Amino acid sequence: MEWGIGESSERYSAVMSNEGEAMSLATFMKDGEKLESSSLLVSSDDFPGRLVVEIDGTPMFAHVARVGDDWWVHLDGRIHVIRGHEPGGSQDQATNGGLSAPMPGTILEVLVKQGQRVREGQTLLVMEAMKMEHKILAPSGGEVSTVHYNEGDRVDMGSVLIEMTD
Amino acid sequence: MSPEWMQGAPKEYDSVLVANRGEIAVRVLRAVKESGLRAVAVYSEADSESLHVEIADEAVLLPGESLSENYLNAEAIIEAAKSTGANAIHPGYGFLSERADFAREVSENGIIWIGPDAESIEVMGDKISARSRMISSGVPVIPGDEVSIPEDGAHLGPLAVAAAKVGYPLLLKASAGGGGKGMRVVREPKMLRTEYEAAAREAAAAFGDGTVYVERLLTGARHVEIQVLADSTGNCIHLNERDCSLQRRHQKVIEEAPSPAVSNSVRESMGEAAVMAAKAVNYVGAGTVEFLLSSNGDFYFLEMNTRLQVEHPVTEMITGIDLVQKQLEIAAGLEMGISQSEVPLSGHAIEARIYAEDATRGFLPAIGKLSTWITPSGPGIRVDSGVRQGDEVTVNFDPMLAKLVVHAPTRKAALRRMDAALSNFVVLGVVTNIGFLRNALSHSAFISGNVTTDLLDSSDISEFGDPEPPIEALVSIAEAALRMGLDKTHAGASASPVDEHTGHSGDPFRTLSRSYP
Repeated sequence: MEWGIGESSERYSAVMSNEGEAMSLATFMKDGEKLESSSLLVSSDDFPGRLVVEIDGTPMFAHVARVGDDWWVHLDGRIHVIRGHEPGGSQDQATNGGLSAPMPGTILEVLVKQGQRVREGQTLLVMEAMKMEHKILAPSGGEVSTVHYNEGDRVDMGSVLIEMTD
Repeated sequence: MSPEWMQGAPKEYDSVLVANRGEIAVRVLRAVKESGLRAVAVYSEADSESLHVEIADEAVLLPGESLSENYLNAEAIIEAAKSTGANAIHPGYGFLSERADFAREVSENGIIWIGPDAESIEVMGDKISARSRMISSGVPVIPGDEVSIPEDGAHLGPLAVAAAKVGYPLLLKASAGGGGKGMRVVREPKMLRTEYEAAAREAAAAFGDGTVYVERLLTGARHVEIQVLADSTGNCIHLNERDCSLQRRHQKVIEEAPSPAVSNSVRESMGEAAVMAAKAVNYVGAGTVEFLLSSNGDFYFLEMNTRLQVEHPVTEMITGIDLVQKQLEIAAGLEMGISQSEVPLSGHAIEARIYAEDATRGFLPAIGKLSTWITPSGPGIRVDSGVRQGDEVTVNFDPMLAKLVVHAPTRKAALRRMDAALSNFVVLGVVTNIGFLRNALSHSAFISGNVTTDLLDSSDISEFGDPEPPIEALVSIAEAALRMGLDKTHAGASASPVDEHTGHSGDPFRTLSRSYP
């Protein structure tokens, strides 16, 4: 499995070797290139959803939970999300130039029309979710090619709201 | 039959309906049960599996999907009280807690209202009438002009005139607003219409009222509030201040008591002003008088919240006084049994609000299922929450999942305790602000106690950014977890085994509700 963190397109992989009940890190790679790796041992734990991680001899707990392709990890007081990608899968599945709803809600105002040119940071539409207003801004300058919703429409998280071309 | 402590009180009752949901419903229902009273909950369809329903002795479904059909439905709630024999109603905060007409209706139906009289709510609930009552009672108010805007919003002439008189930057507030909703900062005249329309819309969506109020924005001021307690026999005291200066878009993020900016003499004069404000409206019960404290020590009345406050636990921690228990006693007509000079101020307490929101994406509310929810515990740590592991976080309600409160002998020790507690708060499956809170609490401005209400909004948010993730460890953990099959055995998956620690099968709620009573 290849792994990515956040918005970054970098892909990491770890070759783990079995050491009795535990697994140790044998090889750590970034975008196919081998990196120098620490001494890292991961063991199972009786507590559900928890692992014991030993980094250069220092043990600590890691809580993990899988949600879809994402693994949520609580380690050393911080929570991280890392996503599994099948090796060789497409690098970026994001729709080209599509602006999607960051959360479910209602469209309050559509401020642009199809064919309109917009500048970077311009408010394209305003949506309401959880009783608060959120502005959807143009990520870059360009032309609005399609507007998918009207004022008052309810949208699900991830729905493509507006498509833009350069 | 009323509990022993209430026997002989002027207004005895034995059963309390809590007209709320989430963490505050849980908090109040627990206090009610602990006091030997019967606890009745109300819930909407979406909340049928909620913690507050589970802990109540009895729960009544309020049908309908919209808030006006369920939690804001005064008629249905009074009917629920009658049908379950509840002879008192506690409103919590938000929802109907500051609706004078609801308080009146409850009383007219022969049910005890656990809160102040409708008249007190009415005067304080309208920012304009509250302001004039404060002026006539000698409580200092924010300098500037005031205006009330016609509801249709077609003509902004009067607003523009008033805005020019007050001066920019200014604050537009919905008269019936609160909690940061329907409140907008206007920095220059050309933004007036846009911001007014946004404020009116937000206020209408959240409160069903579109009236707006304008006031000078004091920059660099601190938000300090005084908890007051008054009984129906004429006693009125204050329980020291809370500092709520760390805010984001006027939503409180972190509260603490005592305030690092309040000296003994300011505490005394602010406390006196708060008691004066409460007496000016014949206040009965627990309430909060909010002040803006300017850097030169002057303070101005902002508003009075005629209900229990979200951040009431910090006051409970430094005074040892259970505010909900006091509300129950006062509602029975009992004396509060404590005088001003007997109010303790011990150590330092901090509350952090755990929100389901993504700080890295403009604080957008987050949703999802709480696959893992492990709350911190230990001396001086309190978690007030309305959710459990396995619960679904949806867009239907406010995104506050929990309040984490710590108490320690000093502010420094409390900060360390809070950071440790946040580090041990494990929430997986839903993005929260826990990491952001740790970053904010370790910011030099907060450590020095020098926080103003505009800190978060005026700073570059990257100042509160996360440290670099330990990628190598995370990738190894994920790879190992996948190969060990943790996704198949962990709670939240369909076939979860018996938990070795509790002996309960699959149900993730069970283990959790036991870890914090």
